[in-house]
Amino acid sequence: MVLNMNTNMWALYAREVKRFQKIWLDTIFNPIVSIALYLGVFGIVTAGREVGSLPYLTFVYSGLLAMLVINNSFSNPSFALVISKNLGNIIDLQLAPIAVWRIGIAYALAAFTRGVFALVVALLATIWFIPGLGLPSHPIYFVIGLFLTGLEFGMLGVAFGFWAKNFEALTFMTSFVMQPMIFLAGVFYPIASLPQPWTTISLFNPIHHNINFFRYSLTGYSDLNPLVSLVVILAFSAVFFVAMQLAAKRTIVVK
Amino acid sequence: MNMLPLRVNNVTKIFKNSKGQEFKAVDGVSLDIEPGKIFGLLGPNGAGKSTLINMISGILLANDGNIEVFGLDVKKDANKTKQLIGVVPQEIVMEMAFTVEEVLYYFCGMYGVPRHERKERIKAVLEDLGLADKIHEKARSLSGGMKRRLMIAKAILHKPKLLILDEPSAGVDVSLRQKIWSLVRRLNDEGTTIVFTTHYLEEAEQLCDSITLIDHGHVIKSGKLKGIQQEFSKNSIHFELFDRSVAPLAGVVEVGVEYEYPITTNLATDMAKLTSHYNHNLKSIRSEAASLEHIFLKLTNNGS
Repeated sequence: MVLNMNTNMWALYAREVKRFQKIWLDTIFNPIVSIALYLGVFGIVTAGREVGSLPYLTFVYSGLLAMLVINNSFSNPSFALVISKNLGNIIDLQLAPIAVWRIGIAYALAAFTRGVFALVVALLATIWFIPGLGLPSHPIYFVIGLFLTGLEFGMLGVAFGFWAKNFEALTFMTSFVMQPMIFLAGVFYPIASLPQPWTTISLFNPIHHNINFFRYSLTGYSDLNPLVSLVVILAFSAVFFVAMQLAAKRTIVVK
Repeated sequence: MNMLPLRVNNVTKIFKNSKGQEFKAVDGVSLDIEPGKIFGLLGPNGAGKSTLINMISGILLANDGNIEVFGLDVKKDANKTKQLIGVVPQEIVMEMAFTVEEVLYYFCGMYGVPRHERKERIKAVLEDLGLADKIHEKARSLSGGMKRRLMIAKAILHKPKLLILDEPSAGVDVSLRQKIWSLVRRLNDEGTTIVFTTHYLEEAEQLCDSITLIDHGHVIKSGKLKGIQQEFSKNSIHFELFDRSVAPLAGVVEVGVEYEYPITTNLATDMAKLTSHYNHNLKSIRSEAASLEHIFLKLTNNGS
């Protein structure tokens, strides 16, 4: 009997990577256009301003890159799974001899890959316009931050994808939960500039810690100790893994 | 360890509707399927066939009872049993963005087929199913019949020991149906045990070694097809009429388009009684083995 769980899981990962490669227009141009639009607007409005010793545009840019990774990692599996449910080919996952947690991890890793792909495309297209930004200030933190952020929100996307019964439920979560959390996470401003209690409340927003850690790894600037953010990222990754497991199990094997 | 390809032991599945009311889709069903056989699971719409198949496939959990595939419990050893089974679901579903080759390539991988074997297997299966020239076409551009064949290809690529086909010939033309059944026969000759559901009873009659009839979640008849046919044929005469409005002879029962008359004294006397009563109105008369359709209708109370 052939039962190589690693082969099975990596085949599913490869299928998901291939799937987003098939929609290459969206995969390539979406990150470039969204980053370019933000840069265009913020570049004009905030010219000459600084956050600490960092040019404001560099500050925003590093946050935008983290946001891009989060958005792409989240939306790739969540939309893929809801589409699968609508088309009915979710049955391929239900019938496949792959452990539920491996299905989740395969989708989350593909989501991470999509996040990295979006980041690389956006960097190649736009980094030339950012003052004083070259190699990451903390390359190892950068790699860790990128991996954890992609995987963390990939797992959340998988959880939402399995949980959402239809597109309406998914877009509700995206529009009313994810987007507000991203915009209130300090992408466009340092959270210390907010009045209380919003500064404190922002500390409980998990996305803030991803932005903070990613920005620190790239530019050396942070709103709070990056190691605290790393611990929070790890903790939320564990929570999202459990959520992914529960949601996937409920869909793959129906009680 | 019991090594029957499939053993379903007193399985029950209860669903709840939106008002919380319980409904038993499958109620205490037991089946034993012998190796190398073609087994038909028959029943009217809503009988519980697909629910049972979903439980065998490991995508639906039974409320009670257990299911074993080659001695392995489908709940405890889900991934091992899924590896042994190939399932052709009733609905045509696939990754529409992919080409035929891509669909099958990743499917091979998901079932653990090593990378270096995949292309050869895909080529062989597509040739068997008459889809070799469609290998580079988008799956979504295939006709309905081709998509159905692609579904079968997905199910047999990993060489399952037990192949389950849920209404595989639904909505396909006669010629394709024949091709599908010839493939099923060949896979069976090669040692694959086949379980299928179908509405085409004459095909079940041609293909099956054994059948189980299900209605309202219960097994109403199970066994070797020939034995069941003999059981339902003995002591009765079947006939058809040109004019169905003629007053029936006492004891005649309507079964679908046919009529059935129980032999009370002996075959010759009762035949004479019928011919004398219906005279030139008799279209056909026989006392041979009952058709599966006849048995089906009789047992599901649709023919009386």
